[in-house]
Amino acid sequence: MSNFSKPTDSSTSQAGSQTIERARHPAADALGMFVKNRAAAVALFVLVLIVVAGIVGPIVYETDPYDMVWAPFSPPGQEGFLFGTDYLGRDILAGILHGTRVSLLVGLSAALMTVFIGVTVGALAGFFRGWVEELLMRITEFFQVLPTLLFSMVIVALFGPTLTVITIAIGAVSWPAVARITRAEFLRIRELEYVTASRASGTRNAKLMFSVILPNALPPIIVQAALMVGSAILFEAGLSFLGLTDPNIVSWGQIIGSNRPYILDASYTVTFPGVAIFVTVLCLSLVGDGLNDALNPKLRQR
Amino acid sequence: MGTLLKVENLVIELSTTKGVAPVIDDLSFELQAGQTLSFVGESGCGKSMTALGIMGLLPEKVGRIASGSILFNGEDITKATDDRLREIRGNDISMIFQEPMTSLNPVFSIGEQIAEVLRRHQKLEKAAAWAQAIELLDAVRIPDAKRRASSYPHQLSGGQRQRVMIAMALACEPRILIADEPTTALDVTIQAQIFDLLEDLRAQTGTAIIMITHDMGVVAEIAERMIVMYAGRMVEQGQVDHVLSHPRHPYTKGLIDCVPHLMATLTEQRAELTEISGIVPSLAEFGQDTCLFASRCHLANQQCLQARPTEQHFNEQQLVACWRAGEV
Amino acid sequence: MDKSKASDTLLKVENLTVQFPIKRGSIIGKKKWLRAVDDISFTIKRGETLALVGESGSGKTTAALAAARLVKAHSGSVELNGEDFLALDDETLRTARAKLQFIFQDPYSSLNPRLKAESIVREPLANLNTGSQTNDKKAEHNRIVDELFEAVGLRPEQKKLFPHQFSGGQRQRIGIARALATQPELIICDEPVSALDVAVQAQILNLLRKIQHERNLTYLFISHDLGVVQYMCDSIAVMYLGKIVEYADRLSLFNNPQHPYTAALLSAVPSVDRQRRSKYKRILIPGDTPDALNPPIGCRFSSRCPAAQPICSESEPPLISRTDGHQVACHLVSDTGESPISALI
Repeated sequence: MSNFSKPTDSSTSQAGSQTIERARHPAADALGMFVKNRAAAVALFVLVLIVVAGIVGPIVYETDPYDMVWAPFSPPGQEGFLFGTDYLGRDILAGILHGTRVSLLVGLSAALMTVFIGVTVGALAGFFRGWVEELLMRITEFFQVLPTLLFSMVIVALFGPTLTVITIAIGAVSWPAVARITRAEFLRIRELEYVTASRASGTRNAKLMFSVILPNALPPIIVQAALMVGSAILFEAGLSFLGLTDPNIVSWGQIIGSNRPYILDASYTVTFPGVAIFVTVLCLSLVGDGLNDALNPKLRQR
Repeated sequence: MGTLLKVENLVIELSTTKGVAPVIDDLSFELQAGQTLSFVGESGCGKSMTALGIMGLLPEKVGRIASGSILFNGEDITKATDDRLREIRGNDISMIFQEPMTSLNPVFSIGEQIAEVLRRHQKLEKAAAWAQAIELLDAVRIPDAKRRASSYPHQLSGGQRQRVMIAMALACEPRILIADEPTTALDVTIQAQIFDLLEDLRAQTGTAIIMITHDMGVVAEIAERMIVMYAGRMVEQGQVDHVLSHPRHPYTKGLIDCVPHLMATLTEQRAELTEISGIVPSLAEFGQDTCLFASRCHLANQQCLQARPTEQHFNEQQLVACWRAGEV
Repeated sequence: MDKSKASDTLLKVENLTVQFPIKRGSIIGKKKWLRAVDDISFTIKRGETLALVGESGSGKTTAALAAARLVKAHSGSVELNGEDFLALDDETLRTARAKLQFIFQDPYSSLNPRLKAESIVREPLANLNTGSQTNDKKAEHNRIVDELFEAVGLRPEQKKLFPHQFSGGQRQRIGIARALATQPELIICDEPVSALDVAVQAQILNLLRKIQHERNLTYLFISHDLGVVQYMCDSIAVMYLGKIVEYADRLSLFNNPQHPYTAALLSAVPSVDRQRRSKYKRILIPGDTPDALNPPIGCRFSSRCPAAQPICSESEPPLISRTDGHQVACHLVSDTGESPISALI
């Protein structure tokens, strides 16, 4: 390797780049864009608060959400219970704080599962094309045409209403959207010249798929995942409302579900957990939008 | 043949996140009826911006005409109302673009799109407009125009789409046709067809053409006058023959010499191409009181860095903005 | 490496055909095949440059991709250094790729936006493991990357930047450095300057010529720009609708184009040379390139050829040499190598 010579052409000096540029990772640009989106930034802040409340809340606010601490249906603000008590005299605030963990956990793990299945299926289909794609996409379509709520109810009914089953049920009905997005991205990116270049320099298929194409396909998947957390929380609430939930574990949906019969007499018992779900899902949605804007290269140019 | 378009000391500013930049900086030129004028330069030099300025199509809120005038038939269109501008765009000045696919509406047939223009600008009846649309398609040499009029843009080749764009532009019988790199996306044999078509149309209708291009060969082939732009400023203008055979600005010379042209007779000898080192300065550097080309110029000296070059005349028709024009 | 024959001819492509299945209409309908590259053969001598020239849809890029096994060839052979490239099994192919590298057209999509410039150049080194000892491998790779950056005219501090921080010309330099990393013998340049500004094109063309001399590289150069081809290449193959219609050395082809298509193509190139403009009348060929699914019967150019005769739409002309090594596929070229076009001008 001694034949590397010095450049003789004058072209090394580029106009306008005398100042040494710092390396800017594409993700850093995206973060800058995200922060500029006021609504998304505020939503992210609120989300962080909610997460903190979920972690710290139960430790600081020691009331046990399962304990009957006072007379049933005591309205909010009275008797020292900020959000009032439910039909069994349980503290709703304690329920919401404890439920935060569960709801967020269900949302996150269902979204993770969705992304895992969806990305795997979509990546394989988009990368290998041919019969692999045909087979995987037919399976995807099969899951997509099933009525989601009904299908997940069937799963929960069959395997029992534990949190794990509920999470799996939500994941099982939600992954097709991610699979389709991933496949579309793979189909687009695999034709780009840098992928061909990587192939031409002897990159193995597995590496090509997961360390060349996948990182570039991530932006829309990340956006979808953020939205997915929100819809999984909603989904869990929906199932709870129908009574398909673990009665021994308090979640936002479970509070609403168990207080459902008293919705007219003591509306606050469902309003507060409802607001918690609403705010969380709205924030997730706004963050998703913000991510979409930040990660969309078309909006980022100049 | 009188002066159709007279642009005087035009300054167009563009607001960017880093401030306001003069993307067209003190540009003056004239266009005679029936003449072909060419703008040449690298991308980012203000060629397209000039065209958009004349058309009144500067990007809203971002670009504006800061000073100077654009006299079309004696009327200053920088002061015209939006309605008047629209009228001028429809009837007097038309424009065709580099990528015809994005300029055509995919959900209407090409006949309908041309007829629509005719109905709007010439107030024709539906049937008459359709008939004339077919005539126009025939005029731009679309084979089997009658049947082709019902085709949709995606059913046509790139060359045919560009012909449709030309037909639409001609539907208003414009006095000036601005063509922004109309053949850059096309193959050379198709490019030759389009040039041939434009040349014929110009001869028949007397439409003046402003051709924006980066290819000196194209300029030599179809234009009479040329303006070389660099970083928003005119660096040289004159008769094409004069400028190409005796470029006075180092940038013009560089643009001619950096491309391996096909010559009359090819020989074994292949000289190294002349390079113009570096790249066009960023918008932030536009508008400084220096020669903006100095950083890429092998002739640059102290004077070039201290003041913007004044425009000098060379043998009547050639105008050059370079401190060292005499030495090129 | 045996010296006699192999050192002369580096790449020998014979009867290469590439076809793609086309789905049209119903799902069950018969599969139609589009012959993007139809039975082409060419050779390149070590240290020389061959151009594949043609307009869009001529199959020039597909031919090159197939030669590099980045697109599957239907039939034919590709011999690199006397070794059949198409017959290699996957693992041997992976390492054999070191000898054959690519430079791409689009400097924006040819670099992975998530890698730093140095990682892009290092990627082929890491994949193909060209380093010697495992211990110093990393250091050696770093040294090679440094040298490559210098060789293509990039500054060392630019190693840490991401692709979007470079201009088009600089990105193309990174692409060239990447192609050089494995010390290839053959580099396929696919329209390497057509996406660049004119003034930057010269920088890249000069650089390509310089490294060719320094490293005794062989180029397969794909381009639609005849001016660039004339400057870069030693011999030229003109393609039309998947076929080679004319194949000759540089001077012979440019000074005496025999095929009507080549003549029309050359005459269509706008030129700043007034002498050339007056010498060559522009030969206008009507219409567009025909649909590759239904190419004209007989000579594929017959539907647009200004000199076409009845025989042209009856039988396909073979690619033969009438005058010294100048091959042309046209029924009407005279035995002295005179183009049928010359009678028309």
